[in-house]
Amino acid sequence: MNKIRKINALSVGMALLVGVALPAYAASDKLTVVVTDEPKSLDPCDTDLSGNSRVMHNNITEALVNLSPKDGSVVPSLATSWRQVDSLTWEFKLREGVTFHDGKVFDAQAVVAALKRGQDPSLACEVGLATLKGIKLTAEAVNPTTLRIKTDVVEPILPNKMSALDIGSPATPGDGKTRAPAGTGPYKLAAWTPGQSVTLTAYDGYWGDKPPIKHATIIWRAESAVRAAMVDTGEAQIAYEIAPQDGTTGQDHAFPNAETSLLRIDAQVPPLNDKRVREALNLAIDRDGLVGTVFHKDAQKAMQVVPPSVFGFNPDIPVWTYDPKKAKALLAAAKADGVPVDKEIVIYGRIGIYPNSSESLEAIQAMLADAGFNARLEMLETSPWLKRLLKPWEKERQPSILQTQIDNTEGDAVFTLPNRFTSDGNQSTIADAKLDKLIADASKSTGDERKKMFQEAFRYIAVDAVNIAPLFHMVTIARVAKNVNYTVDVQAGNEIKLRTVSYR
Amino acid sequence: MSFTYFLKRAAFAALALAALMTSAFFLVRLTGDPVDLYLPVDASSAAREAMRVRLGLDASLPVQFLDWAWDMIRLDFGMSLWHNRPAMDVVLEALPNTLALGAIALTLAFVAAIVIGSIAAVNAGGWIDRGVNVLSQAAASVPDFWLGLMGVLLFAVTFRILPTSGFGGPIYWVLPIACLFARPFGTLVQIVRGSMIEALNATFVRTARAKGARDGRVTFVHALRNALLPAVTVTGDLAAQFAGGGGVVEVVFGFPGIGKLLIDGILKRDFAIVQASIFAVAVVIFFINILVDMLYASIDPRVRVE
Repeated sequence: MNKIRKINALSVGMALLVGVALPAYAASDKLTVVVTDEPKSLDPCDTDLSGNSRVMHNNITEALVNLSPKDGSVVPSLATSWRQVDSLTWEFKLREGVTFHDGKVFDAQAVVAALKRGQDPSLACEVGLATLKGIKLTAEAVNPTTLRIKTDVVEPILPNKMSALDIGSPATPGDGKTRAPAGTGPYKLAAWTPGQSVTLTAYDGYWGDKPPIKHATIIWRAESAVRAAMVDTGEAQIAYEIAPQDGTTGQDHAFPNAETSLLRIDAQVPPLNDKRVREALNLAIDRDGLVGTVFHKDAQKAMQVVPPSVFGFNPDIPVWTYDPKKAKALLAAAKADGVPVDKEIVIYGRIGIYPNSSESLEAIQAMLADAGFNARLEMLETSPWLKRLLKPWEKERQPSILQTQIDNTEGDAVFTLPNRFTSDGNQSTIADAKLDKLIADASKSTGDERKKMFQEAFRYIAVDAVNIAPLFHMVTIARVAKNVNYTVDVQAGNEIKLRTVSYR
Repeated sequence: MSFTYFLKRAAFAALALAALMTSAFFLVRLTGDPVDLYLPVDASSAAREAMRVRLGLDASLPVQFLDWAWDMIRLDFGMSLWHNRPAMDVVLEALPNTLALGAIALTLAFVAAIVIGSIAAVNAGGWIDRGVNVLSQAAASVPDFWLGLMGVLLFAVTFRILPTSGFGGPIYWVLPIACLFARPFGTLVQIVRGSMIEALNATFVRTARAKGARDGRVTFVHALRNALLPAVTVTGDLAAQFAGGGGVVEVVFGFPGIGKLLIDGILKRDFAIVQASIFAVAVVIFFINILVDMLYASIDPRVRVE
């Protein structure tokens, strides 16, 4: 009897412990999202970086326009319409009746201030350093709802670029970054507890539809297994970047993340300066063998460095077949002509650039060895990897191929090509006057002409220049709780669309 | 312990700290350029150079060192590049969490090891001893991260009695403490067992038994007090390791401690965070060492802290 009493007391004790101590999980207007890392900044001018953008963009702050996840086309947000006045001037009509979370009114002056701030070199804003790099934009408020932006060079896709500039309140400090952003979005920042969480609450004065979720918390955990477990236990409702080995349940949704994995070939150093060797390298890789094993089964074999959703994608470039026999023949032919094909080639990988990054290169190294290459694998941490990725490089260097992946969520080829494939590009291993001109001309043109020229540039890189071994258009996995309505799309890497989330 | 002794120790510690901080200054700068990591890969070389100038990284290393030394003398650790806040503020937010986590785990491990280790020593060679041996060896060698993930799967996902991770009330501390507990527990059990067997066979224990002292008193008063010294030494070393953070455990559980901060600081080349963390941890280790000396003196009257 005593024993039974003890067991009963223990059960009650455990129940109390669980009931009292465990956090109050999923309530109908509360949502917790778990990501991999804490945002680096919550300043509106830093949303060009995906970790910041996920928390900020279209949650706290908004841009003049958005890009459609379906086809990358420009759609209205804080601007309702836009037109090109002349080759160097664009005009935007702004939405009326919009207020910032701090009560300030959204108008053309606010955009002028945000643009000035984003391009201020002393602030080193992400948007100024990346999307708006190399172009001088001068904004002028014609009246509170009309904004004109002048450019110093022809900029046919200025509206696309404006999707990267989130507009913060005019009260945002001009002499430093803010940790307490005020935007126009459906959520305002409630708290940022460093090292722990960011909490958002719905903004009652939002101009659009009110979001079903009133309180959202964004937390970060480095371990994929822990992120996945948090959805199982109800501690979180959405978890991103679930590793393939953890993402095997019905709640795990794989979606294209606009990243393309590839090996960048240093085509300036022998034996890789010989096109036959670079072709052999591509033919030696068994892409079908990699997908569904070290790469996710939904990854698509790539033939160029942008996914099909990007303007300028060329659907007619043939995907490399796996042909080790032909690869060996090409190497033999190159050797016969005196090309030093036996020279050691280093494969530089980056630890954790994507799930199974080391394993994928180990497999590729073995495939290259089978075809007759003398390849050595070196896995690097991010900092030394960046030294290999970015110029300047030593003149006397070992022949190498570099594991990388390129994302293009902006929807236009111009965000990918110049830096990576022109003579002046800070990551370019190719210096080809013809390609330089093609990319420069395409960047200035519009419509079909632009599309055709970019398609030709992608064809030239893949077929004529062959300084890349494209691998896959990548997917990532998100785990979503069964009682939550949320559709992941190609932009999920940069944007948690909290306002689209609801409980079933 | 006299005040003069403390001052003498503090003076030596200050010298060691100066040497440590100087090596930290040069070592972190050998690991690479923070600008490449901080700026987007598409940033122009002009923007990179501007950033280097802003951070003072364009100056020669001796000039950077002198600037840094002047800041150190004024205890100015600078701004964290990634946190955009004074580095010491960020460190002082994380340090108490780590110290509390380490102190609880280590105290529990120490107490449990004394009890279990003594029981094993008293039953040396018997099945209890063999069981304890297997358990302690396993605890000392199991990897933290594996234990952490298994703990999450078992207690959070399967039984739903603990949260997977996070930071908050006492319940959030259970799994991180359990993971940090394992290794020192295993190590200390082995040490207590060994030194207890030695002490139980010593002549003073035989004398105590001959005088008619009861078994419990002989084991836990006469023998244990003598057997504790090596355990205290090792616990001091373990405490110093714990002051540097629970490393992997903090990462797995998203526990905002100094271990995770330091790992991130190193990976992101956030020099200010790395230097401020090393400084704070070194100061804590200095106090841990003083504490261990005092404990020694109180356990063994032959030891005088002078």
